[in-house]
Formats: sequence, structure tokens, C-alpha cells
Amino acid sequence: MSTERTPLSDRELWQSLATDRSVAPAAVSDMDFAAWLEGRLPEATAARIDAAVASDPAMRQAALELAGILGLPLPAPPPRMMVRAQALVGFEAERQVPRKSWLAGLFPAFGQGFALQRGAMAGIAVIVAAVGFMLGGGLGETYAEGKYASTQAPIIAKPFGRDTTNDLNDLFSDNT
Amino acid sequence: MTELSQIDLQSLAAGHKRTWDAFVVAASPLINAVVRRALANYRLSDDDVMDAAQDVFVRLCNNDFRVLKTYDSARAGLSTWLAVVSRSAAVDFARRRRQATSPIDDVPESALAVEDRHVEKLKIPDGLLTDRQTLILKCLYDEERDVAEVAQLLKIDAQTVRSTHHKALLRLREHFKEEAP
Repeated sequence: MSTERTPLSDRELWQSLATDRSVAPAAVSDMDFAAWLEGRLPEATAARIDAAVASDPAMRQAALELAGILGLPLPAPPPRMMVRAQALVGFEAERQVPRKSWLAGLFPAFGQGFALQRGAMAGIAVIVAAVGFMLGGGLGETYAEGKYASTQAPIIAKPFGRDTTNDLNDLFSDNT
Repeated sequence: MTELSQIDLQSLAAGHKRTWDAFVVAASPLINAVVRRALANYRLSDDDVMDAAQDVFVRLCNNDFRVLKTYDSARAGLSTWLAVVSRSAAVDFARRRRQATSPIDDVPESALAVEDRHVEKLKIPDGLLTDRQTLILKCLYDEERDVAEVAQLLKIDAQTVRSTHHKALLRLREHFKEEAP
């Protein structure tokens, strides 16, 4: 009986080895993956993607699937797929442009934040109120009017009937 | 019919309706094929496939065409990039809907069998094989693809795949022969 071991086939040798790496490969962007699929990457960058694809079965499956599809004649898609996708973008005239306030039109910076916009509105309201108050005479004129009214108060406050009676009495007394 | 390569990308990213419509017509066959292939193992209905394709288009035009604006024509063709984005969106869609399933009859018995002994596998030392050599061996043996498919994937000729495979196995045999008692 021979004690020599049967040499392993290539497949058996590979399957007898632990082929997974202990270090997880870096994430690969869609753009890098597409460039790698087209064989456009320089050697160093391609090696990074090679490592990622080799160590991630899902990525390997994606790569093999996409390589099989790209470059092949493709069947026509269902018309409903195109109609639904085309409806995602409307004509310019149909698009709802968000309305900007007149203030944001005057000062573009005011269009940026809600708080800034409200603050500016409150400030303008205060200014308008102050200007209106000043145009109406302000505190000085009101005070003067009040003072004038107070000096005339005894005459105005005098009861009408009593004044007339006193005047008539005076008239008659002078005549007698 | 407009080809994908003829689409004015600036106009597309600006959201012009006519360009978008032409893009949809040109891209739909590819997106449809990629989504269908990606969802084949998930046993979803035709309506689900349609929704997954719509998800791809939504992803492209969402947030003022943010994803579409990441495409760089100097680095890869639009169809390749679109295929990558479509597959990724389709897999996300399927994960949200349902886990991938395979009928038990389609799974080889060797994959279902439970081995009753613990086999300590030999670890390949870092640096013994290049990343490309490892990838080729994994595609050939783990994915059970033939040389032509691997050559198509890596955009190299079949002879290069064979010679890379041969050199990799020579290195492995040499290394593990030396290590064997």
C-alpha cells in the first residue's frame, strides 16, 4: 500500500485554504466601481477595487452580473415604466416655484432665514410706527394741546345756565 | 431614438423636461435589465420590479438631481455608472421588501450539508498573492465562473486570466509545500 498523498487539484488546493482577509477593504464609490468595470483605473487604484471585490461576495456578484449585462443587446422595457419615469420631471411652466417675499426680492440675504426675515419685518414695523407718530405731531404737540386745554378748563366747565342768569342779573341791576 | 451617450448632461441636471424624457427613453432598457437581474433571486412580482425601476429614476432626480450630478464623464461611461447605481438601488429596494430566497432544490447538497468535523484551514499569508490573483481565483473557484466570464469582467483577454491563475497556483503550491512537514 502506498503512503504517498494524492496531489490536490487546483480547486481542492484553493478550497483547502482560508481565503478571507482579516482586514475589511475600504468602501468603494459607485463612480470608482464603474471606472473599474470599464478597466479605466490606474493600477494602484484598480488594485484597491480588486481587493474589495475579492473580499466581498456581494460586490463580486454585482461585478459579474453587471459585466454580463453591459454591452449586450437589451430587451425593450415595459412602456409603463417609461411613462411613470417621465412624469417625475415636469415642464418649466408646470413647476411650482417657491414664492419669495417682496423683502427677499429687495434684499436677497433676507430670503435665507426665517428668523432674519421675521426680525426685519418687525424692525420695519417699528420704523413705520415711529414715523407715523412723528408725522402726527409726536409727544410735544400732544402735550401742548393738553396744556392749552387745561388753561381754558374753568370757562368751558362753567355751567351754561348759571352764567346767563348772572349776566342778566348784572344787566338789570345796572339799569336800576 | 437618442442614445445614452448623446444625452446633454448639463441640460439633464438642470431639470429640462425634454432632456429628461429623452434620458428616460435611452436609459430604461438598461435600468430595466439591471433591476430585473438584481431582483431575480428575490422572487418579487412584476409590479415590484416596476417600482424598483421607478426608485432608480427617483434616486437620480431627487434633491435637484444630486446623484446625477456626481457622475463624472471623464471617469466612466454613463451606461456603466447608471448600471452600478441601478443595481445598488434595486438591492436596497429588495432589502426593504423581502429577504432573498432560493428554492431548496436549487441549492447544491454540498452547500446544505453540515460537516461534522472541524477543519482548520491554512491561511494564505498577506502579500503571497496579488489582489488580482486572489480575485481571479475567487471568481473561478468560489463563483464557479469560466475563464471567458472572468476575462470579460476584468477587461483582459482569456490568456491573461489563465496565466495569472497558473502563476497564483504555482506560488500557493510552492509556499505550502515548503510549510508542509
